Amino acid sequence: MLRNMFFYIKEAFLSTKKNGIMSFATIISLTATLIIVGMFLLISLNINLFLNEIESQLVAIAYLKDDISEEDINKLVQDTSELQGVKDVRYISKEEAFQRLREDLSEHEDMLAGIPENPLPASIEILVTETDFLEEIAFQLNQYKGIEEVNYGGQLTKNLILVFDFVRNTGLAIISLLIFISVLIMVSVIKISVHSRHEEIEIMSLVGATSWFIRWPFIIEGFLKGLFSSFLAVIVLIKGYLYYMEKIRIILPFLNISSDQIILIRIAVIIILSGVFIGIFGSMISLRKIRYEEL
Amino acid sequence: MIRMFHVFKTFPNKIHALWDVNIHIKKGEFVFLVGPTGAGKTTFLKLIYRGMLPSKGQVIVDGVNLARLKTSLVPYLRREIGVVFQDFKLLYDRNVFENVAFSLRVVGTKNAIIRQEVNNILNIIGLYHKKNTNPHLLSGGEQQKLCIARAVVSHPLILLTDEPTGNLDPETSWDIMKLLFKINIWGTTVIMASHDKLMVDKAQKRVVRIERGEVASDTQKGIYS
Ligand SMILES: Nc1ncnc2c1ncn2[C@@H]1O[C@H](COP(=O)(O)OP(=O)(O)O)[C@@H](O)[C@H]1O
Ligand SMILES: [Mg+2]
Repeated sequence: MLRNMFFYIKEAFLSTKKNGIMSFATIISLTATLIIVGMFLLISLNINLFLNEIESQLVAIAYLKDDISEEDINKLVQDTSELQGVKDVRYISKEEAFQRLREDLSEHEDMLAGIPENPLPASIEILVTETDFLEEIAFQLNQYKGIEEVNYGGQLTKNLILVFDFVRNTGLAIISLLIFISVLIMVSVIKISVHSRHEEIEIMSLVGATSWFIRWPFIIEGFLKGLFSSFLAVIVLIKGYLYYMEKIRIILPFLNISSDQIILIRIAVIIILSGVFIGIFGSMISLRKIRYEEL
Repeated sequence: MIRMFHVFKTFPNKIHALWDVNIHIKKGEFVFLVGPTGAGKTTFLKLIYRGMLPSKGQVIVDGVNLARLKTSLVPYLRREIGVVFQDFKLLYDRNVFENVAFSLRVVGTKNAIIRQEVNNILNIIGLYHKKNTNPHLLSGGEQQKLCIARAVVSHPLILLTDEPTGNLDPETSWDIMKLLFKINIWGTTVIMASHDKLMVDKAQKRVVRIERGEVASDTQKGIYS
């Protein structure tokens, strides 16, 4: 009911005012938690992007000598595609290789200036079904005379995935702990606020307010604190992220860093929902039971 | 309206506050509950609005056995019972009007009705002209009246008052008594715990005397002792 809603909101503000310093402390600690949660989300988002990229590169690359004949190339491609674990084989000519490089560096054309002729070798790219096959395939290819060198990032990819998994799991553990602490802080703040208003609560229960009627102002108090904190956190995060991403992009132009608006909005929504959840959940557990009777 | 059958109340510290109390209070009665401090008067009142449950025995209010009343229904019992406490329990962060309105707001009454009912009761107790005042600026007697107004603004079936004239001079006390009689005449069953001999003797109402938790005497048009 709207009439009751006005009452709840008024009482919620009254209570926030009454516990000014505690309210301030809650908002600060909740904001800090949410910022850390957001930072983790952003880092893990970029790790995922990066992993996707290298996972789509489960390839071995065999660089060919410049003097190899077209016939040999065809035979090589044919033979390779019959090896175990090979999904696809593609021939990349010198020209195609150079074209690709140019596209990759399209924003930094100047880096290519001053290169007189195409320095890149022709190659064949071998896409494998699993990293485990890379070693054997590389060994087989090294037997061919027309091949200069075989490169594969198998072990590196594996290690990177392990490292990132570790980062992600530790991050997740730290985040869980932080959220747990935030809930605890919220619970104790609401408890203090409940205590500072025990007279109102007592009178409410004595004149016949239902337990939900008594709870609502505190739930709204938690909700408002959660909402406010998460908005603060989102502003700090997005501003900070965009600022630092610009810097990193200038220093490391090859790194693929997401600034996709949809994803940023999604993260903002996650942060806001978490803040609101922590606020409401904290209030709920500090008001599990409204006592109507003494012993 | 109120019945107690073999009611015992023993606190966790083994103090027996009430011992085998049997009583029947009819609708519309005015009853004094007298006895020395520590006799069990406040405990008696708490059992009626289920501020406590008895250790043994049955308390029946308006046909409802309180021991069997679900916790979720306690608020609805309380809406039928106005309580005036020994310590006023007023809210000093809001004005006179809002203190009275509070008991209507928390049961979701419409604003227009709240305004009408609160102004009406403030007129009756003679505090209408102070409705925007903070209650801590009121005298003891005025605060007591304010508590009574808050208790009866929702037209309860029963009014319980715990020593409302305890710290007041005889004149103000009689003022309070007259207010309670008026509320009683409207049809509200009134129980007043008191050890104010002067008021009890003057009132000529039913007197239930409690001593060490037991009903020692119960007389119509009684005197203090
Ligand atoms: N919550 C409690 N815990 C323990 N003892 C209590 C409690 N409330 C009251 N008592 C004891 O029960 C007895 C009756 O108390 P009370 O009903 O308040 O008496 P009265 O109101 O007549 O002065 C007293 O001895 C008092 O100390
Ligand atoms: Mg008492």
